[in-house]
Amino acid sequence: MEYAIETVNLVKRYPTTSRKDIVGGPRGHGSRGTVGSFSTIFEAIKGSRGPFIEALKGINLKIKEGEIFGILGPNGAGKTTLIKILCTLVIHDEGEVYVNGFDPRKESGEVLKNLQAVLPESRGFNWRLSGRQNLEFYALLYGLGDDEAKERIDYLLDFTGLTDRADDGYQRYSTGMQRKLLLCRALLRNTPIIVFDEPTSGLDPTSAEEFRKMVIERLVRKEGKTILLSTHNLQEAQELCDRLAILERGNVIALDTPDNLRHLVIEDRFLHISFVDAVFGAEEKKLIKDLEAIENVHSVSAEVNNGENFEAITMRVEKDIDLAGILMALAKSGLKINAVNCEEPSLEDAFNAIIGRNGKHLPNHGEEGD
Amino acid sequence: MRIPLSLRQIFAFMKRDFFSWTTYRTAAITQVLGILIGVFSWGISAAYVQRPVQEMYGSDYISFLLVGVAVSNLIMPLVLGVQNQLNPWTLETILMTGVSTPIFVLGNIMWTYVFSALSFIPYLVIGTSFFHAEIRPNLLAVALALMISAALMMGLAMVSTGLRILTKSTDPITWTINVLQSLFAGVAFPVIYLNTILFPGASTISWFLPQTWVYHLCRLSMLTNPSLTDPLVIMEFVKGTIFAAALLPIGHRVFWWGVNRSKREGTLGWY
Repeated sequence: MEYAIETVNLVKRYPTTSRKDIVGGPRGHGSRGTVGSFSTIFEAIKGSRGPFIEALKGINLKIKEGEIFGILGPNGAGKTTLIKILCTLVIHDEGEVYVNGFDPRKESGEVLKNLQAVLPESRGFNWRLSGRQNLEFYALLYGLGDDEAKERIDYLLDFTGLTDRADDGYQRYSTGMQRKLLLCRALLRNTPIIVFDEPTSGLDPTSAEEFRKMVIERLVRKEGKTILLSTHNLQEAQELCDRLAILERGNVIALDTPDNLRHLVIEDRFLHISFVDAVFGAEEKKLIKDLEAIENVHSVSAEVNNGENFEAITMRVEKDIDLAGILMALAKSGLKINAVNCEEPSLEDAFNAIIGRNGKHLPNHGEEGD
Repeated sequence: MRIPLSLRQIFAFMKRDFFSWTTYRTAAITQVLGILIGVFSWGISAAYVQRPVQEMYGSDYISFLLVGVAVSNLIMPLVLGVQNQLNPWTLETILMTGVSTPIFVLGNIMWTYVFSALSFIPYLVIGTSFFHAEIRPNLLAVALALMISAALMMGLAMVSTGLRILTKSTDPITWTINVLQSLFAGVAFPVIYLNTILFPGASTISWFLPQTWVYHLCRLSMLTNPSLTDPLVIMEFVKGTIFAAALLPIGHRVFWWGVNRSKREGTLGWY
C-alpha cells in the first residue's frame, strides 16, 4: 500500500435548501418531541434538489504512512467535510478516496478499522459513568475481547496520564481530561491512522503542549501512526506537521512543508527596530520616507502610541539585503535604538498571504506525495 | 383599568408560544388529531366495559385490561428508547465504531425492554392480589411472545430511527402508527369489538399494526394458558413471527436509507 490516505478529484456538494429549513434547524422548535412534516419525508424520497454549494472542488491529496499532515484553512474551507468523508460520516459525490486502500463509500467497516478520529464535538460519553467504564463500553463496541480491552485501556490511561482519575465520574473531568479521554477512545482500536480536528482548542497552553508532545513522541515516533491534523493554530501546525495543505473554498491552494510554504510565499524577512524615549515628529516621518526609499526595502510601518510615542518600526525587506544603508539612516536620525531583531516569516504570515491572494493557486510542491 | 405588568408578561409568553405553535402546521394538526383519537379510543373503551362478555381470550375484563396496560408500558418506552439516545454526539461516535445496525438499535432499547418486562411483575402481583385478576400463563409461550414482541418493536424502532435521523423530529409515520395503536391495537378492548362499534371489518386495520400483535400474543400467552401443541395457538405465533420477519428487513432498509441520505446531505450531526 503506497499511501495511508489518498484523494483523487474529490468533490462534495451540499444542497443549499435542506432539512434545516424544513424542520426549523438542529435546535429549533421542530426538533425533539414534536412531529416533523410529511413534506420532509417526501423531500427525502425525491432526493436532494439544488441549488448546491460545492464544499470540496476536486481535492487531490496523498498522505504517506507515518506522516503528520496538517490541513489549514479559514472557516468554510472544507476541512471538516474532508475529515468527515474520511471518517465515513459524510458520503462524497465525485472522485475517489482511499484509506489504506479502502473506499469509505463502499468499505466503511474496513476504513474504520484503519482510521479513527478525535472530533471535539463528538463526545458520546456518559456523564454518569467513570472514564474507565466509558472506555470499556466503547472497547466492546469496537469488538475487543475482555483481556485485550483491559490491557489496552490500562495502557491508554497510563499513556494519557489519566490512570489516577480513571474511576472518577466523567462529569468531574476537566476539559483537558475530557480531551484526553477522547484520545483514549480513538486509540482503543489501535488503528494506523488518527485524525484530529482542532485537538488543542479550549486547552490551556501547558495542556496543549503536553498534547503535542504526546502526539509526536508516542503516536508518531514510537507507534509509527499516520496523523491527519486539522487546526486553526498555525504555531501548532508549524511545530507538528511534516506537510501542510491550505484549503480555501473547497480547493487546495497550497501544499508543502511548513518551511517551504513560509519561504515559497514570503521570500522577505522582517526587521523590527525598537526605540527608547522617541517622539514621532517631522524628523521621524522623514526617516520613514528615507527608509522606504532604500533599495530592497518593501515596506516600513511605524508603531506610535498615544499619537506621539515612537516605539518601533517594522520593515519588510529582501532576504539578501545589505543592511548598511538602513543602519546609516537610523544612526543619522539620532534616535536611541533599544533593539534590532531580524525575523523569519511565520506560517501565519504565509497563511495570511496565501488566503489574501483570494484563491490564486500556488504551485503545490509535493502534492502527489513524492 | 391598567393590567399589571406581571400579567402582561405572562400573556406575552403565551402569545409567543401560540404563534410559534400555529406556524408548525403538521405539529399542530397532529396534536389536535391525537386529542380526538385519544378521546374516541377512551369512549370505545368505556362503552366496552358495559358489556358482560369478553371476546377472544375468554377472560374477565380486569385481567384483560391488566395485561393490556402492562404491555402498553412495554411498548411506548421502546420506541422512545432509541429516540432518546439519538443526538449528534452519540450517533456519530457510535456509527464510527462500525457497530452493526441491529446491535445499535437493540442495544439502545434493551435496557428499556428488560426494565419494562420486569415491571410486569408488580402489575401482575397487585392485579392478582388486590383486583382478583386471573392470570393463566404458559411460561414458554410468554417467553416466545416477548421474543416476537421484541422483534416487532425492534423493526418499528428501526423505521422510527431511520426517519428520525432524516427529519430530526418525531417522524409523522411513526407518530401515525403510535396514534392508531391507541384506537386499533386493542389496549383496553378486544380488537374484534371494533367491528361492531365502528364499522364491519374495522378490526382488519388492527392486524396491520405491529403493536396489535404484541398485545395479542402477550394476552394469548398470559390469559389462556395456551398449549404450544395446539395448531390454532401455533398459527397465531407463526402469524406474529411472519409479521416480525417482514418488519425487520423493512426497518433495516429504512434505517440505512435515513443514515445514508443524512450522510449525503451532511446532516448526520444535526439534531
